[in-house]
Amino acid sequence: MSANTPKNTMTRRQFLARSGALGALGLSLPAFLAACGGTEGGGGGGEESLFFDNWPLYIDPTADGLTGTVDRFMAETGVKMTYGEGYNDNNEYFAKIQPLLGAGKSIEADIIAPTFWMAGRLISLGWTEKLPKDLIPNFANIEDVYVNPTWDPTGEYSMPWQAGTAGIAYNIDVTGREIKSVADLFDPEFKGKIGMLTEMRDTIGLICMSLGIDPSKITSFEDAAPAFEKLAQAKADGQIRAFTGNDYADDLVSGNFAACVGWSGDVLQLGKDSPNVRFVIPEEGGTSWCDTMVLPKGLANSTAAAKWMNFCYDPVQAAQITQYVQYLSPVKGVRDELAKLDPELAENPLLFPDDESSARLRSFATLTEDVEAKFDEEFSAITGA
Amino acid sequence: MMRKRTKYGRYALNVFAGLGLVYLFAPIFFIVAFSFNKPNGNFNIAWQSFTFDNWLHPFAEQSLTRALWKSLEIAAVSTFISTILGSLIAVALSRYKFRGSEGINLFLVLPLTTPEIVLGSSLATLFLGQNFIDFGMVTIIIAHIMFQVSFVALTVRARIRGFDWTLEQAAQDLGATPFRTFMKVTFPLILPGILAAALLAFALSIDDFIITFFNSGPIQTFPLQIYGASRVRIPPQINVLASIILFFSVAILMAGTIAGMRKSAEKQATAKKFKLPLRK
Amino acid sequence: MTETVERNNRIARNADRVGLGAMILASICLVALGAHWVSGPMVSVIVLVLVAVIVGVLVLAYTGGPEARRLLAPYGLLKPGMLWLALFFLAPVWSLLRISLSTKESRFSVNYNFSWAFENYTKAFSDFGKQFEHAFVYAAIATVLTILIGYPLAYVIAFRGGKYKNILLGLVVVPFFTSYLIRTIAWSTILADRGIVVRALNAVGLERLFEWMHIMDNGKLLNTPAAVIGGLTYNFLPFMLLPIYVSLEKIDTNLVNAAGDLYSSASRAFRKVVLPLSIPGVFAGTLLTFIPAAGDFVNAQFLGNPNTSMIGNSIQDQFLKQNNYPVASAMAAVLMVSIATLVLLYTRIFGTEDLA
Repeated sequence: MSANTPKNTMTRRQFLARSGALGALGLSLPAFLAACGGTEGGGGGGEESLFFDNWPLYIDPTADGLTGTVDRFMAETGVKMTYGEGYNDNNEYFAKIQPLLGAGKSIEADIIAPTFWMAGRLISLGWTEKLPKDLIPNFANIEDVYVNPTWDPTGEYSMPWQAGTAGIAYNIDVTGREIKSVADLFDPEFKGKIGMLTEMRDTIGLICMSLGIDPSKITSFEDAAPAFEKLAQAKADGQIRAFTGNDYADDLVSGNFAACVGWSGDVLQLGKDSPNVRFVIPEEGGTSWCDTMVLPKGLANSTAAAKWMNFCYDPVQAAQITQYVQYLSPVKGVRDELAKLDPELAENPLLFPDDESSARLRSFATLTEDVEAKFDEEFSAITGA
Repeated sequence: MMRKRTKYGRYALNVFAGLGLVYLFAPIFFIVAFSFNKPNGNFNIAWQSFTFDNWLHPFAEQSLTRALWKSLEIAAVSTFISTILGSLIAVALSRYKFRGSEGINLFLVLPLTTPEIVLGSSLATLFLGQNFIDFGMVTIIIAHIMFQVSFVALTVRARIRGFDWTLEQAAQDLGATPFRTFMKVTFPLILPGILAAALLAFALSIDDFIITFFNSGPIQTFPLQIYGASRVRIPPQINVLASIILFFSVAILMAGTIAGMRKSAEKQATAKKFKLPLRK
Repeated sequence: MTETVERNNRIARNADRVGLGAMILASICLVALGAHWVSGPMVSVIVLVLVAVIVGVLVLAYTGGPEARRLLAPYGLLKPGMLWLALFFLAPVWSLLRISLSTKESRFSVNYNFSWAFENYTKAFSDFGKQFEHAFVYAAIATVLTILIGYPLAYVIAFRGGKYKNILLGLVVVPFFTSYLIRTIAWSTILADRGIVVRALNAVGLERLFEWMHIMDNGKLLNTPAAVIGGLTYNFLPFMLLPIYVSLEKIDTNLVNAAGDLYSSASRAFRKVVLPLSIPGVFAGTLLTFIPAAGDFVNAQFLGNPNTSMIGNSIQDQFLKQNNYPVASAMAAVLMVSIATLVLLYTRIFGTEDLA
């Protein structure tokens, strides 16, 4: 295009040619990036730091003149704590940490909050560190039912964070009547207005109990097959509007759901502002579960982690968490402390179930790896993803 | 009769276009309006009462703010690198006629015509079986550069398509060194195109969800945090930050348009400046 | 002596072939390394080849004289970006195909054994046929809807915008500066059972019509196929509107006026002049809308129900929740191949220029 002035374009092109050659250096960019990435996170310095990646909305924040547990902890111990809310689905979180922990590498978080069955999986895969129990004297405050639980038979790897029950949550404005039984979830009257949880053990567990199957005694897929059939049929009929996480709360309040499988604490929190949203442990029984704290293999700050666990297992601190999240606390003595803060809440049977309702609760059995794989596969086929 | 009908047709079309705009803005209206809501409970869904609180404390949500910073960091690094890589490609494509340029053109379009979910999952399979790079910031940045490069290259190429490369000769005829020519003539003239492409790349990076989702490891970017939050609760701060990003983008867009107008005027002036001595 | 000079000159004259060849060879090396074609000592051999190719081209550029440098320059400029794409776009496609034919060592392993495991593909088709169907049907309907909404809008802006043209165009783009997820979540609020749209429809009495048209289902607008399609239409509208606008903007209004002068009616002028000239924009927009829509999972997740899942939902679920990378990869590969086929057909007919 510019043959008439070759000399000048040459020099110009020489320049471009050289800068193009420089481009070959672009090859070293990934290495450069990797070097940059290496500085990500990490403690360093003399100051102790801690990163707890928990479920969202699972701790009392600093607000309304109250100091949140994280801030109280930092003030008391001097540990610089980062509190994350990145744990919002057991399977998804697992998929994210799997390539790292599975390859023997560490993750950024020092404490994570898997639900009991996921904690069991992580423990059996050897992806967790033992708790430095000698640094956690308050471990003695753990409720008796959580001593050496099925998912952590030696009790060396996990501490419960909060526990709760799954039952039926409903919006009485939409249902027009009280809901008492799981059978109501399959009532054609509520077609397309029913929600189920993506948390397989709660959804299937509840349906199992309505069919007279004890979810704590399941050993093979065949044991639970009728529940899966029932759920698949309901889905095919258009009975089920959506499979959700905690966001069922939103659908309940707005009236998109008439009723759904839900968790006690959420509905208690909601009930404060929306009295038409209610929670019931169905006649046939409900499931109980707990979320745990575990230390991922190769964590940077186990001493700081131990300080945090010890702090949370002080009934005075635990009571403040309970007051906010309104789930069952795994810490002994919380009820007495809570009575000082909020006497009404301390009498709530959903936070402190009486023996009669406790007897109606079942915890889902620990499944062997192959059986669990089958359950997951069948459940994901139904959730329609 | 006929004329009348077309006149009504005209109105109908304009009304339709107006409705189209309303449709486009419906969710935006909700997002901005609900940033002033004082939600009852966890979900910012039903209108309760008006408040400025959320705007006064836009960074009250620690993990949300941290995620936003991560996103900005990622966008800055990936935009910087992809703009360089993409602009070089664009210059090569529009400056030279060379063997294989058609193949390169087609190759550049490929990432744009591959669904994001395929880009994201395939890149993740590349990272899965190796020990050099861990899932995290680095993999996110690599992924973002991967899809940004094509956008930058095509945008810059489109913007400098009409560029008059003889200006370079003019400068060199007047005794400028190649480096000086590039810095003083070429670069300033193609800069607006590069900046526009960089802005686009930045916007794409900040908002990318699907590809990032597959390659993030345990890192939470702003979209990932929103996705996670959507399954638990949606604090009004999400609306506030989204509105801020919106207003900020609009401001840049407007500034860009104004600068573009000025630049095109300047461009004409520069062209004149260089062409006049040539004719002598 | 003269012979070597002669040879050097020949190489210099053909420097563009050398440059192109070097770039392709370097790309192949990178793909080979990234996608694990090679293992053990072969890795070092490939790395050596890669380095040798790059050094060789540099040497040629410095010794080959100005002509060679001129011919090499474009490849030098292209190389960094192209190699990046080779390593992080081409190599991944290869590793995706490899994993789609592999089996996992164990359930939670990240290691695979390549074993020509075609059962992954069988499973992809047998278990997820519905999801493929949803993806292509919903995306196709959404694409048609974006044309129906986008074309008139682009037309009005291009031909009647006057001096407000740029402002109008800006207005159209502005909504898409908010987060994709937040926009979609906002739609779920708008379409909720007690939301503004359903209440308005009930007030006007249109819900019967909508039920009959299967847009509403049992009084619901949210969590229906229609909501998913609506979400796709909304989110990908600019990808349709902008290319159409660009092609309309290029049309010389004198042509339309000329048609009018020749006593052509307005609609006839549109059909005979404007429409044919804007077709390239429509086709480009069709690709840019259909492709991302077919691979989307966000709209189906927030606006759909368990019976409206698209293939994107399945890939995401299998990959990021079930850790079933082989089947997820097989589904992604099928999606990629079907879309690549469509794209190839399109580009064969209409060229690639308009995509940019």
